[in-house]
Amino acid sequence: MRRPTLVAVAAGVALAVVGVLSLTPAIGQTPKSGGTINIMAREDLAQGFATHETSTVATSTPSLPCFSNLVFFDPSKKTDSMDTIVGELAEKWSWQDNYKNLVFFLRKDVKWHDGKPFTSKDVKHTFDMVRDSPEATAKLRISPRKDWYANVEHIEAPDPYTVVFRLKRPQPSLLLMLASGYSPVYAAHVPPAAYRTGCIGTGPFKLKEWRKGEFIEYVKNPDFYVKGRPYLDGIRYVVIVERGTRTAALQSGQLDVAFPGETGRTAMEQLKKAVPTMVFQPVAQNVSDNIIMNTKKPPFDNPKVRLAVGYAIDRRGLIQAAHQGGAVLGAAMLPKPYGVWGMLEKDLAAMPGYGKAEDMKAQAKKLLAEAGITAQSPLKVEMSVRAIAIYLDMASFVINELKQVGIEATLKQIETAQWHATATRGDYQIGANLTGLGTDDPDANFYENYACGSPRNYSQYCSEEVMKMFERQSQELDAKKRTAMVIDIQKRLEQDAPRPILAQRLDYYAHWPHVKGLVAHNNIYNFSRFQDVWRDK
Amino acid sequence: MKTYLAQRLGIAVLTLVGMSIVIFALLRFAPGDIVDILFSTGGYVNAEERKAIMKELGIDKPLVTQYLEWIRNLLTGDLGKSYRYDQPAWDVIRPLIPVTLELAALSIMVAVLLGVPTGVISAVRQDTTLDYVLRVFSLAGLSMPAFWLGMVIILGLVTWLQWIPPVTYVGPRENFWLHAVQFGLPALAVGYRSSALIMRITRSALLEVMREDYIRTAWAKGQSEGIVIWRHALKNAILPVVTVIGIEFAFLIGGLVVTENVFNLPGVARFLVQAILWRDYPIVQNIVMFIAVVVILSNLFVDMLYGFLDPRVRYG
Repeated sequence: MRRPTLVAVAAGVALAVVGVLSLTPAIGQTPKSGGTINIMAREDLAQGFATHETSTVATSTPSLPCFSNLVFFDPSKKTDSMDTIVGELAEKWSWQDNYKNLVFFLRKDVKWHDGKPFTSKDVKHTFDMVRDSPEATAKLRISPRKDWYANVEHIEAPDPYTVVFRLKRPQPSLLLMLASGYSPVYAAHVPPAAYRTGCIGTGPFKLKEWRKGEFIEYVKNPDFYVKGRPYLDGIRYVVIVERGTRTAALQSGQLDVAFPGETGRTAMEQLKKAVPTMVFQPVAQNVSDNIIMNTKKPPFDNPKVRLAVGYAIDRRGLIQAAHQGGAVLGAAMLPKPYGVWGMLEKDLAAMPGYGKAEDMKAQAKKLLAEAGITAQSPLKVEMSVRAIAIYLDMASFVINELKQVGIEATLKQIETAQWHATATRGDYQIGANLTGLGTDDPDANFYENYACGSPRNYSQYCSEEVMKMFERQSQELDAKKRTAMVIDIQKRLEQDAPRPILAQRLDYYAHWPHVKGLVAHNNIYNFSRFQDVWRDK
Repeated sequence: MKTYLAQRLGIAVLTLVGMSIVIFALLRFAPGDIVDILFSTGGYVNAEERKAIMKELGIDKPLVTQYLEWIRNLLTGDLGKSYRYDQPAWDVIRPLIPVTLELAALSIMVAVLLGVPTGVISAVRQDTTLDYVLRVFSLAGLSMPAFWLGMVIILGLVTWLQWIPPVTYVGPRENFWLHAVQFGLPALAVGYRSSALIMRITRSALLEVMREDYIRTAWAKGQSEGIVIWRHALKNAILPVVTVIGIEFAFLIGGLVVTENVFNLPGVARFLVQAILWRDYPIVQNIVMFIAVVVILSNLFVDMLYGFLDPRVRYG
């Protein structure tokens, strides 16, 4: 193995120091130890604590207190980016060989919740398993984020406290993906299936009890590697399926904290009226409303028809009608100031569907006419949608918009059990969809949702030219140049319109004022470790 | 009486066998399965991985084999393993049963305590203001779904008192009063609706009996109103009321889904919905069979009660 360069090590150490410092609570507040808090959960754990086998916040968020990552997004910073990454199990890290090798230097004072020591073997075990490598010591039942690690050639553990990720080509984004809430480190001595029923992690809280369908209870991990943390004695996720009851439980004080992504604008306004002291943190969810169109089947194999759909839908109208203002305009990446890579409002205004509604509809009609579709000979399509209220609200609005330009869509509700199979197989014409991104990173988004052959590229869009653009931005080391490339890609995607983005959802993350040190992030997947949270009551 | 009971038991067994086939078939014919759901939580689908999981869970076997295995295991007390929770189904279901049974029992108690006396009063005071008031009260009960009433109770409490019953289960030994409130409010919401039906049946049955010759004879003999109503009239009018109570109890077990959701009670009914959404066959099959057993047993109990209340059934 090559030794890391001095500059790279210094940069890593600096980042780690910044990270540790940033964990310190705000000046003027002296954190108190003790107490427990109750947190809302809208459904039971989907697959226990097996975060690597799911892509749902229902698993990843309530599992976060149990686990640690190699690196994580600074809990005290709202916006996740390369600059806010801090070390967890990795004390420091360094890029080598022109960003082709990523070396992690691990903490030596970490124990698993069952008392066994944490070593580099655990890291190699986890990520070999996630990327389904032939070297993996165990196999996951399913691995939704295998593609994140497609560029990893080999993972080495030269000694118990060093891990090297060797890449096929430079990929700075790897660090961002490793910092996602979806990238915890599993214990090598625990079979992956055991995480479906229990949790052995290295995180600030140890699992005490998981009462199925009722609650998940954690207690403080006394051996946690960050001294003096966590502040709380315990936390409990309370599963409440009924939305009205969830809100009432928060309002009555039986719950201290809402679930990420749960508090829409209307709920926020109601809660604010009922409990004026309730704290709300407006953040982006990094979940977008979008339209998927099957590019392999008529009529949406015709780029003009797709683009017309992109033009036809009034984004601002949708934000008001379906979200009561609780969403913002954005393209494929989360817009500023919520995200790092998104397009500016002025750039967005020039994109299909983002201008004045009447002008956009006129443009849509023109494109459809060129494709032979007019009010006299309207296009009749089926709009597939998951049979869940938040999808249906959006779909109803879109159907009305399409009707105004000569596309008559009928709603076809698909049960959750069938939705992803239907979308992946391409058994649909057009669909109303929601897409959540594990991290605000172009690689995580583009390769997952727009790359040729990706199972989550539901529109089956494939452009060699765009793939090259993906590759170029992924390898670009200069942040400014890369941002410009990412914006060009977003513009191109909106023009090709395989998946026009309609809105980026906001969350008004709610908690009682006695809950301190809790900072909501612009990404529902990447906070909720709760190690710095304390109770002022 | 023994022949009567044997006949009823025979029918009950046949019903259960029929139910098991219907439950099994309906679940398999519903679109999607647990593997679809697992991939749904992963957001993609992979044909090879899908095959491997189906094999792991045993749902790649022919349907007849799966059915026979389920029945064989059921008869030996093995309910199988929950697909979602990767744990024995019995371990998952066991803690839920007492919650639902307690809620159903309390609800039916509320229904009877509210429905029978009001029905009697309404019949005895036919066409008086009190009768009209009670009939409107019962009509309101029939018109309000229990889940709506439940939500109104929750919203009313949180709005006016900034308080709602506990959202996690409180055992009676842990805190009896909190437990009583936690179950009492949903029992009131569910029981009110059932009481309305019981009240109306009691009223009409009693009115019919009150016109019989033997009641006139009882009045003519100068017996007190209490004796005439409670001993002579109600005893003869009670059969249809018992039938309705039996049906309502059976209906309650399956119908508590929404009430358990609204009051966040960790019972069988609430869990069943989640298990259906997850196509967790071992959980769904066994819970539905449990509900079927409760329904059949409550019907059997009512049938036996007929024998006790009506000598014609006993000696017929």
